[in-house]
Amino acid sequence: MLTAFVRAFRTPDLRNKLLFTLFILVIFRLGSAVPLPGIDSAEIRQCMENATASGGGVYQLVNLFSGGSLLQLAIFALGIMPYITASIILNLLTVVIPRLETLRKEGQSGQARITQYTRYLTIGLAVLQSTTILAMAQSGQMFQNFCSPSLFMPNQDILTLITMVFTLVGGTAVIMWFGELITDRGIGNGMSLLIFTQIVAVFPSEMIRIWQEQDRWVFAVIVAAGIVMVAAVVFVEQAQRRIPVQYAKRMVGRRMFGGTSTYIPLKVNQAGVIPVIFASSLLYLPTLAVGLLGEDSTNPVVRFLMTYFDPTQIHPVYMATYFVLIVGFAFFYVAITFNPADVADNMKKYGGFIPGIRPGRPTAEYLDFVLSRITTAGALYLGVIALLPMVALGTAGASANFPFGGTSILIMVGVGLDMVKRIESQLQQRNYEGFLR
Amino acid sequence: MGTVGGRMGEWFRRLIGRPGTVDLGPYRRLLGQVGDREPTVRELPDEELTASVTELRADESVAGADRFPTDKLVEFSALAREAARRALDERPFDVQLLGMMAMLSGNVIEMATGEGKTLVGALTSAGYAIRGRRVHIASVNDYLARRDAEWMRPVYDLLGVSVGWIGQDSTADERRAAYACDVCYGAVSELGFDVLRDRLAYEESELVVPEPDVLIVDEADSVLVDEARVPLVLAGAIEQSAADPALAELVKGLGRGVHYEIEEDARAAHLTNAGIDRVEAALGGIDLYGVEHMATLTAVNLALYAHALVERDVDYIVRDGRIQLIDDNRGRVATLQRWPDGLHAAVEAKEGLVTSESGEVLDTTTIQALVRRYPTVCGMTGTAVAVAEQLREFYELEVAVVPPNVPCIRKDEPDRLYVTRDDKEDALVAHISSVHGEGRPILIGTLDVAESERLARRLRRAGLECSVLNAKNDAEEAAIIAEAGREGAITVSTQMAGRGTDIRLGGRDAQDHDRVAEIGGLYVIGTGRYSSSRLDDQLRGRAGRQGDPGGSVFFTSFEDDVIVRHASDTAVPSADPKTGRIEDAGGKWSMNHAQRVAEGELLELHRNTWRYNKLVEVQRSTVLEYRNKVLHSDLADKELAERCSERHAELLGEVGAEVLAAAARQIVLYHLDQRWSEHFALLTELREGIHLRALGRRNPLDEFNRDAVPPFLNLLAEVREQAAETFRSVTITPEGVDLAASGLKRPTATWTYLVRDDQFDEGERFMSTMKRAMRRPK
Repeated sequence: MLTAFVRAFRTPDLRNKLLFTLFILVIFRLGSAVPLPGIDSAEIRQCMENATASGGGVYQLVNLFSGGSLLQLAIFALGIMPYITASIILNLLTVVIPRLETLRKEGQSGQARITQYTRYLTIGLAVLQSTTILAMAQSGQMFQNFCSPSLFMPNQDILTLITMVFTLVGGTAVIMWFGELITDRGIGNGMSLLIFTQIVAVFPSEMIRIWQEQDRWVFAVIVAAGIVMVAAVVFVEQAQRRIPVQYAKRMVGRRMFGGTSTYIPLKVNQAGVIPVIFASSLLYLPTLAVGLLGEDSTNPVVRFLMTYFDPTQIHPVYMATYFVLIVGFAFFYVAITFNPADVADNMKKYGGFIPGIRPGRPTAEYLDFVLSRITTAGALYLGVIALLPMVALGTAGASANFPFGGTSILIMVGVGLDMVKRIESQLQQRNYEGFLR
Repeated sequence: MGTVGGRMGEWFRRLIGRPGTVDLGPYRRLLGQVGDREPTVRELPDEELTASVTELRADESVAGADRFPTDKLVEFSALAREAARRALDERPFDVQLLGMMAMLSGNVIEMATGEGKTLVGALTSAGYAIRGRRVHIASVNDYLARRDAEWMRPVYDLLGVSVGWIGQDSTADERRAAYACDVCYGAVSELGFDVLRDRLAYEESELVVPEPDVLIVDEADSVLVDEARVPLVLAGAIEQSAADPALAELVKGLGRGVHYEIEEDARAAHLTNAGIDRVEAALGGIDLYGVEHMATLTAVNLALYAHALVERDVDYIVRDGRIQLIDDNRGRVATLQRWPDGLHAAVEAKEGLVTSESGEVLDTTTIQALVRRYPTVCGMTGTAVAVAEQLREFYELEVAVVPPNVPCIRKDEPDRLYVTRDDKEDALVAHISSVHGEGRPILIGTLDVAESERLARRLRRAGLECSVLNAKNDAEEAAIIAEAGREGAITVSTQMAGRGTDIRLGGRDAQDHDRVAEIGGLYVIGTGRYSSSRLDDQLRGRAGRQGDPGGSVFFTSFEDDVIVRHASDTAVPSADPKTGRIEDAGGKWSMNHAQRVAEGELLELHRNTWRYNKLVEVQRSTVLEYRNKVLHSDLADKELAERCSERHAELLGEVGAEVLAAAARQIVLYHLDQRWSEHFALLTELREGIHLRALGRRNPLDEFNRDAVPPFLNLLAEVREQAAETFRSVTITPEGVDLAASGLKRPTATWTYLVRDDQFDEGERFMSTMKRAMRRPK
């Protein structure tokens, strides 16, 4: 991986792309640290420390994606979430609204229109989200009443609030632009890289916190465990089962190739990080419900939820539910994204077949057979990765957004691997000098 | 753009860098000066005119300069205009000089049909030539290349610039002579194939193509965009591999829908379960999908493809007992083209013809790679703005719009849309008959050869005499076109007449021009939308040239290919029950939508050809660099002397240094070409199945780039190794090396392949069908 970067830096246009990407990311991080107008940054930092020390809130996951800038009420507080949400919504709408579907079919020009709609929707969502966040901050809900809003928001008149909303929405637009700039002129997918940056950004402060609060050897164990986990994730993420495919539609003269290059790669973790994100979002619902119902311990529902589903306590029931949800979502996701019948049908259309197996139904059945087995392994792996840190480190006193949390590692490794692949691919298109001699 | 608002709009579009907005203002200002020079120049006798140009050519500020100095440009424009006036009796209009100046700065110009693009191209190439540049003019086809070269020759003669042309039947010597001229006309595919053939040369003296310099692309959108999708493939003959006629018979007995199915887009056919059972039984109960029967299965698939999807008189015609392909884009016969990978043999078996030689792919190139060889590129077409963004993306070319000399007054009627093809054709014939009654000449553009003939038969049955222009009678092309503008003429044509042809009102010599203009001029009827609106516009552009009156209309139906293939899920709107005509706006929207989908798919194809070719191009240039070194120096000799010094010393004594060096060169080049051809086949195979990687969340392009590298790394080392091995064993006499005796046969004949789009884009199509499911909500 490092050699790839070194070689990339020796290639002038690749170096420029990398530096450009880095430049955008630095500006992005700077903006994540600049507080909104009308916010007392020293006070809000204090509030945040109080809040995180006493356990997660509803916005923990969201905060993770914003690199900690959400709770700081920075100008980039909303992060990339509005854009991601907007693209998900538009993707879903494409299925529902025929007009969008027809646009998508028109290729590039249609796709450009859809991108434009996504941008508008992002701005809309940003307005909605910024007002919600400001309302929560103003009412003190954001920090679960650990500190008074008047401390960090000394000025609460309508003009200041409007300025804040404008700044937040503007920040979102700028982030969106950053993402597109990276995709166009830099390297890698801009959106994924921005998420990556935000997750990595909380790393140092979290490490320092553990260093300060825990024993030295606990710190050492955590670091070692983290490295082992990253290595394991890298390993499994690359793992795939290759199902050979042959195309019998051309006579290629005298030569016959082994056909080793043509295969369907079935990844062990075909679903990626999404099941984990879905499961954790779902598990925040009980906490949210408790927040809405009030922490009235006489209410049996509240008592039940607080006993079993308090994210700070990590009850075995909580863990079991989490695990089951992840495994379930993994199967669900693979089922909706990889339809063996469709794949078999498409292969049949274009003259491809798996050697020894008839096209059509038999092929679909074979694919299904392999897929269900490999997904079982993948789903269990996802569950374990997500749960391990909770079991091992939850007891050691690290919070849920601890840097080696399952979600963060999966995203980090995913984006990192993707990045390396892209750089290598670009290198291979250019660096042929070395091969000539 | 006459209004202030229009000008402001144009200025603003240029400011934000919209394509198609190159500023012509600076050139427009020069036109006055050119006009002032005109009386002086007109006085010059022919010899002095030529001498003035030669003088300009010798001027140091002109020769070799990046740009024309302004005063010299004015001088040249005046001389060029005068030369054209004298040679052709056509005084170039101001707008034509404007177009010439824009092209001399390396832009693509858009000029309406009939505005005299050919002349503009000729003057531009003369402009480059007197600056000491060597110009190639890429035409769409051989006919136009030859016509333009011959037509413009007097102008070139007056300007003292030499001109030549190449066609698909030109010999190597004729080609060399043509390329040696200042200006050389040729079909773009010919230019490309010459480059490819040069890559097979064993001696410097076999080379044909000179160093590329300036390329002027005629019909730039067609060449740079439409044709760029189809790679130019050069193949060499290898031994016969006939397709089994028994299989062709077997396949003929299969029923569509029962034993095999055809995809909606008519690009693929496959056996159903019943079909597989039947074929397996007929072949003696084998398991068709077993690994050991791969070759049989391939043969069956090819036979099926030939039977179900390759249609006689649409995709090919049979002439003199041979299959001749029809080029989709041009509607012409492509004599030197064949289908690749056994399909040709399968079609021959289907027609019961004698199987000709089959070939193996030696090398390919793309139009992009070809065009990028030239340091300077410019072009002209009637429809450039629509593809301006692509020209910028793929070729870094800008588009300048040259206004027409006389505004176009052609009336373009809205489409007439019908439910079924029969409704459409009934209405079509009725309409033709009524327009014919007024005496107006009619040009009917059909989509393929079969349709043109069917329609001609129908018209004749209805008592309407018509001439037919299609791939089958392309020899009479010039005569048919010359008469197409005559009063009462009806001409049924394929795409052939869609581009480049100039139909003058009043027939040959335009004697009846005014009378035909009075009754409304040429009336163009399209029998269906093409896959791109540009092609529609080109067809319409046949009418209304140079301010003549004219009209155009398209008859379309919901059974047309463009709808069936690209918008098959649209509901047919309500129609007039008697005539089947659809007036509903939604129906028209569907038609436009289907065309946009088709355009989008074609663009995607183009982009993919380009993307996947990038890496291949890098590898190829590495190989070519080595090849050129070997060809132009004694590198091969040195390398072999180093590797097998004993054998080398021994041979040196026997045959002498010169023969030995030539032999060494031939041996190395043989193995280099062989290995590259093998490597290329491997890349093709890799490319074919690479889309499956997307199922594992991998980017197919990245995967392709990665997997294509390892097999290449040892290529040159292996070539040297193999060459050394041959060198040790081969017989070298004072007459030279006899490679054939050692079983190393150099391909005898070469021909070119017409690679159907779907050969390469199936992966992409597969991807797009899978994409909806694969889109990740992240």
